[in-house]
Amino acid sequence: MELPHQREYTVMKRYRQLFSYIAFMLILTACHTSDEMSYSADPVENIEALWQIIDTKYCYVEEKEVNWDAVHETYLEKAALLPENDPVALFDLCAEMLNLLEDGHVNLYSSFDRSYSTAWYDSYPANFSSSLQQKYLHDYRIAGGLYYCTIDNDSIGYVYYSSFSNSISASNIGWVFKAFKDCKGLIIDVRNNGGGSLSYSYLLSSPFFTDNRLVGYWQHKTGPGHNDFSEMEELRSDASLCGVKWMRPVVVLCNRRSYSATNSFVNIMRYADNAVIVGGKSGGGGGMPMSYELPCGWMVRFSSVRMYDAEKKDIEQGIEPDYQVNMTSTDKDDIIEKAIELINMAYK
Amino acid sequence: MKKIIGLIGLMFALVGMVHAYDGVEHTNVLKVKYGWDYQLDTYLSPLAYPGQEIGIGNEWWQPFRPDTRLGKTGKLARWAHVGRIDIRGARHISSARNNLIYSLGASGGWGAFYRWQWYDNRLKVLVGPYVEGEVTMREIASNVNKPYSFDFSAEVMAMSGLSWSFYGKKTSYRLHYLIRTNLIGFDYLPDYWQSYYEMTQGVRGTARCSGHWNHHTVKHEVGLDMQFPHSTWRIGAEHDYVNYGTKNQHFVRNQICLVVGCIWNYRIKGNTRL
Repeated sequence: MELPHQREYTVMKRYRQLFSYIAFMLILTACHTSDEMSYSADPVENIEALWQIIDTKYCYVEEKEVNWDAVHETYLEKAALLPENDPVALFDLCAEMLNLLEDGHVNLYSSFDRSYSTAWYDSYPANFSSSLQQKYLHDYRIAGGLYYCTIDNDSIGYVYYSSFSNSISASNIGWVFKAFKDCKGLIIDVRNNGGGSLSYSYLLSSPFFTDNRLVGYWQHKTGPGHNDFSEMEELRSDASLCGVKWMRPVVVLCNRRSYSATNSFVNIMRYADNAVIVGGKSGGGGGMPMSYELPCGWMVRFSSVRMYDAEKKDIEQGIEPDYQVNMTSTDKDDIIEKAIELINMAYK
Repeated sequence: MKKIIGLIGLMFALVGMVHAYDGVEHTNVLKVKYGWDYQLDTYLSPLAYPGQEIGIGNEWWQPFRPDTRLGKTGKLARWAHVGRIDIRGARHISSARNNLIYSLGASGGWGAFYRWQWYDNRLKVLVGPYVEGEVTMREIASNVNKPYSFDFSAEVMAMSGLSWSFYGKKTSYRLHYLIRTNLIGFDYLPDYWQSYYEMTQGVRGTARCSGHWNHHTVKHEVGLDMQFPHSTWRIGAEHDYVNYGTKNQHFVRNQICLVVGCIWNYRIKGNTRL
């Protein structure tokens, strides 16, 4: 039989166990994660974090031929000399480090500035003049992001798409083609188009395919090593995105500043029947970007997915056109003229 | 807006009602929550984002067997069960105040517990198992690529609690404290290296077995139920701590919120048996 004091002892023991358990849970709650980063404006911490992000997540460290380990040492030393309360100086140092990669997809975003690299197009001919383009693009209509009109005595349709960030739809494309129903060829001008949505690349290329053709591959990072990538996955054109089809000649105009999603569009169009690429080498930017944050809250964007053409050649450095044409004339657009010539030749 | 809130409330109440057995008194608590939390999702950012959240939830309590209820045998039913469902939305701002994360989460669970009672059933201790599923989706707003992320887990938990009832002049009160923590289950982790562009073609990830070695969930709640002549209300606080991940991917949600709830008892009677 249980005596009263024994029962009390048992109850107390149970309560002690219960309170011990609760205390254990509260202690557990106070634990913090080891990889969590705290907010910090310290220049060395931020340079270190930025270097780590690029080192582990950026997909072109090897290809850029930059000694990234040496960059680490150099820029940590520079960061150590910076005052902690000068965010502009820190930003400039971070931007300087990132621009060593000469990649248009590598940017640093803060509330007061966005870093950018121009090295990837500086040494190439511009191959685009908006004043010369106006001689062709007049009395135009606008369907979504597409500016369109007919040129060469209404025999050729001309479409200018300035940014793949500007939305387009299958309906827009349908209306454009309806306006060009009597034209013998089509020019799609994506010069100085800095990219935007990859899905618009597939949509705009869709009318030129009747099947889902292999147009390339991509590979994503699977780990922190410079060469930690997945197997190549196929990329195919999508003929179903646009019901209207264009089976007559089409010429795509590009220049060095045709970048990112535009570069992908140019690559897809290489595999379309009746399509040729004219102008200068495209800008590249084949890697699909993603973003991450620094301890000071700034955001860094970088390429994380490698893209290849159907021959498994990396398109990060740009795509050579079928017809290399540089603009030398001052009174006409040599690249548009070449496109007109090619379309007219197709009917001879 | 009032209609939407009303509909959500009705939906939650119905979820509780469908669990009511014939003739068994059923206690339902419809709650609104407002609180503060911080969330860490290393897929989106290495920084923890503090924020504020609002939520709505419903819980229902019910003994398993009606014939042992207080009043018939003079003893409280030993085994009872509880179910709950919660939805919460939160807005988090980075410490540098230059970025936002929006999150939307939901959790639902069911548990059974054994009750001991002392002092004329005024003091109760509850212990039992609880099964809970939880999902949280997040989007980081100012990111140029606008990536989103989510975490998901389903856990078998241990639940325990204390309840103390006392009486005022016109009001009776019940103070309760509940704690539950995970024992074993599974969670799903999206591939840390997967980019937003790849996610548009389907999320890859890993479903793995989880337990205290790789997944910590601790949820506390304390509440005071006040029974007035014509209505019963609850005020209280809840604290949720969820922390799990792998080498690269880490999810943490640490949240405390204030709770106001409306409590009512009801009994659904079925057809009379011959």
